[in-house]
Amino acid sequence: MCGIVGYIGWKEAAPLVIEGLKRLEYRGYDSFGVATENGDINIIKKSGKISESGADLSALVGTIGIGHTRWATHGVPNDCNAHPHTDCTGAIAVVHNGIIENYAVLKRKLIEKGHRFKSETDTEVIAHLVEEYFSGDLLAAVTAAVRHLEGSYAILVIAKDDQRIVAARKSSPLVLGIGDGEVLCASDVTPLLEHTQRAVYLEDGDVAALTASRIDVYHDGVRVERSITHIDWSVDDAKKGGFEHYMLKEIYEQPEVFYNTIKALEKDTRLPMLRIPAEITVVACGTSYHAALVFRYLAQEYSSKRVSVEFASEFKYYTPPLRDMVIAVTQSGETADTLTAIEKAKARNCSTLAVTNVLGSTVSRSADWTVFMCAGPEISVAATKSFTGQLAVFMGMVNVMADGKFTEVLAHAHRSIERVLPQEMGAAVSLLLSATEMFYVGRGVFYPVALEGALKMKEISYIHAEGYAAGELKHGPFALLSPETPVVAICTPGRTYGVMLSNVKEMKARGAPVIGIGVEGDTEVESIVDVFIPIPEDHQMVQAITVSVILQLLAYQTANALERDIDKPRNLAKSVTVE
Amino acid sequence: MKTMQAVILAAGEGRRLRPLTHAMPKAMVPVANRPILEYIVRALEKNGIREIIVVVGYKKEQVIRHLNGLEIPVKVVVQERQLGTAHALKCAAPLITGDFLLLPGDNYIDTASIARIMGERNAVLTWDHPHPSNFGVLMIRDGSVQQVIEKPSEAPGFTVSTGIFSLGPAFLDFLGDETEIPNAINAMIAAGTPLKAVPAEDWQDAIYPWDLLRLNAALLQGVRQERAGRIGSSVVIKGQVSIGRGTTIGPNSTILGPVVIGEDCEIGPNCVVLPETSIGDRVRIEPFTLIGHSLILADACIGSHARITDAVVGTGTQVGDHATTSPQRTIFSIEGELIRAKFGAIIGDNVRSAPFCVFKNCIVGNNVCVEDGKTLYGEVPDGARII
Repeated sequence: MCGIVGYIGWKEAAPLVIEGLKRLEYRGYDSFGVATENGDINIIKKSGKISESGADLSALVGTIGIGHTRWATHGVPNDCNAHPHTDCTGAIAVVHNGIIENYAVLKRKLIEKGHRFKSETDTEVIAHLVEEYFSGDLLAAVTAAVRHLEGSYAILVIAKDDQRIVAARKSSPLVLGIGDGEVLCASDVTPLLEHTQRAVYLEDGDVAALTASRIDVYHDGVRVERSITHIDWSVDDAKKGGFEHYMLKEIYEQPEVFYNTIKALEKDTRLPMLRIPAEITVVACGTSYHAALVFRYLAQEYSSKRVSVEFASEFKYYTPPLRDMVIAVTQSGETADTLTAIEKAKARNCSTLAVTNVLGSTVSRSADWTVFMCAGPEISVAATKSFTGQLAVFMGMVNVMADGKFTEVLAHAHRSIERVLPQEMGAAVSLLLSATEMFYVGRGVFYPVALEGALKMKEISYIHAEGYAAGELKHGPFALLSPETPVVAICTPGRTYGVMLSNVKEMKARGAPVIGIGVEGDTEVESIVDVFIPIPEDHQMVQAITVSVILQLLAYQTANALERDIDKPRNLAKSVTVE
Repeated sequence: MKTMQAVILAAGEGRRLRPLTHAMPKAMVPVANRPILEYIVRALEKNGIREIIVVVGYKKEQVIRHLNGLEIPVKVVVQERQLGTAHALKCAAPLITGDFLLLPGDNYIDTASIARIMGERNAVLTWDHPHPSNFGVLMIRDGSVQQVIEKPSEAPGFTVSTGIFSLGPAFLDFLGDETEIPNAINAMIAAGTPLKAVPAEDWQDAIYPWDLLRLNAALLQGVRQERAGRIGSSVVIKGQVSIGRGTTIGPNSTILGPVVIGEDCEIGPNCVVLPETSIGDRVRIEPFTLIGHSLILADACIGSHARITDAVVGTGTQVGDHATTSPQRTIFSIEGELIRAKFGAIIGDNVRSAPFCVFKNCIVGNNVCVEDGKTLYGEVPDGARII
């Protein structure tokens, strides 16, 4: 997914285009670029986020500009592959959202005709194709060029000495905004909202020529009228698409994330290499650290490999003895501490593997190989779907180490995740509203799940929540239990079921209200806890995910009831790129 | 000209469609692999209506999540409690700025019918229905509606309201304390605003779960030929058949269209899929099984040597091998009404049935567990264990 923005009018174009691209960052943010026309085509492109780049725009003069923000799905996001792309002479610049399916064929033909390609992208083909047809009229050239394109596209084209932007779309979104002596265009309406409320949606197959004062739309070479729509949404609604918060939107994306990640792993032919090392060290921070702990429990139980998990921030100064393989886990791929850890591991001749969500991120460039979770851009600061994505990656790895014993279990896991999403939580939430402290307890693989549940609660509801291995509660924290400290206890069937039940009874005896999570129809747990939350019966691995989702929902609904700023909790940032 | 708005009411559960509305509202029930709501949104989009407002309520997250994936900008309004259709429209009222179309989110309507009514102000799309008593029957004189009689026991005519109206903002004043739209329509007519009756081109309703089979058959007529996935050797495919990405059709299978098969399915080898069948994403159909005139929802699994006809199989349900559904005519009591129906089986979500079960014209609730060799008929409540 990518985003494109264009501006033509009477203001300096570059700052406005950059502003618009920031609004589209949710569509991807691994590289970006802007081109303006001022008797010449000026281009700046960079890998990295727009909002953090502080790019110097002074070279970009002109009142006509186009820009692009990229979420690379294939092809590395480097400066060269970033849009805009130009033709051989640098007189035509193109930004593109979509996929040109027949680009290889077109590229070969164009190279035969003597065109020189600079990047590996499909988009550059469009620039050269337009050049091929260009004989003074940009509109005619684009109209002729798009006839050859198969696949999906929304493109904006500018050319030297042409006071127009030419736009075309097919199966990718493109909206025009009509302002006062200015025209904007973008992948969706959000970048337009600050400038105008009058929008024109292009139809599939439309080609439009935009000047500062008019829009001419052509379909199959015939000039057509497209009606003007009045927009009155707020900027946030447009992106969240009806969900109250990004966090809830992302929670609901988890069944798909898990399924897609597991499916992508099946195609990864390098995974069997994981059977080789006898010892694996995992380095991570925050939520990723908890995912890694889940991996430790699962890998040790099902493959008898020795797995140790380290905080990346500690690892740097107190590096443990390393052998065999080091795995670095980071959603953004930019977490500073984790990056340093990878370098340390490489210096000690360990093989390195990165687990990340962002293609072409720093970590994927420095590790020996990278496994991606297919979570898509995560906007809420509190990680939800990236945690599930990491669990999917780790469980896929465990499956490989256990010779495919869990293929069936993992292939159906998304069903169980789907089933817990609508879980009613009102009673549990009302129990937590007045609490200032609370505990999460679990055993085995549910211990890191409890840690993650507590972290979510701390992050967004600001209730001081602590996760413990259930057996450790007695070694100190028990002193804190009172009727004012609710406890969330994970009591799923298995080896630890009986001892968990007696732990719950002990906590009840100290007067602490207990929220119990168990499998559907487990009347024994239901009878001893204050509030019972059921999860579907499934394999322990899947239950680790469904319980995490339940705990995310619990934190979300509690924070919502307390009217916290859920998507942007105080003092926190999405990825920590400083030490 | 100012463009028209459209308000789609998708907040209701559709209780009579249970058990299928356990996890989603009626508007989201997939027919020919797409929720009914999506057909409506697409028909509106094709008519150039850009401002679409969807009122959601029951299981709203499911609706919002799906709408987000459509790339058609849709505004969502939440009706916190389902207090009737008029109340739902009132929730959307602050966003209505001019003439608007009002549509129920759970009935299929085609693009041409919307075009017919768009130009009119104060009009209703009508449909001649053989069983009018389930609907709002329209008393029409000289092309104008005189009165809507909601679900009469003795219907005075066969022309019914599709629930699709083209209205002006003035209509909102008639909502008052009414709970249902037809009452407000009657109030408007009584106040002297005429309501034009416009016959619809194609309209399909599903009231009871078995109606979905008819709706499915009707919508499958519009299936486009598509062949993604891997198709094994000696597979026979005839008629309009759409096969999604990542799906495997095992050798020696036969598929007779119209049939739509979703993504990442595994079918066969040696399976037969007869016409008017929709198979959702990630469904597995084991070897030597026959399926026809059925709706198999996502993530379901049908064992080998089964014969599934005239059936709806819910999401994530696993039907054991050698299962048979046998279509018979019986009388059902649904929401207090006695209905005669003929179908094979309606099986809810996440049902597990062991081998050699016979589903004899039955409605099986969600999360039911059936042991081997059972014959099921009538209604089985949610969560039951048949031993």
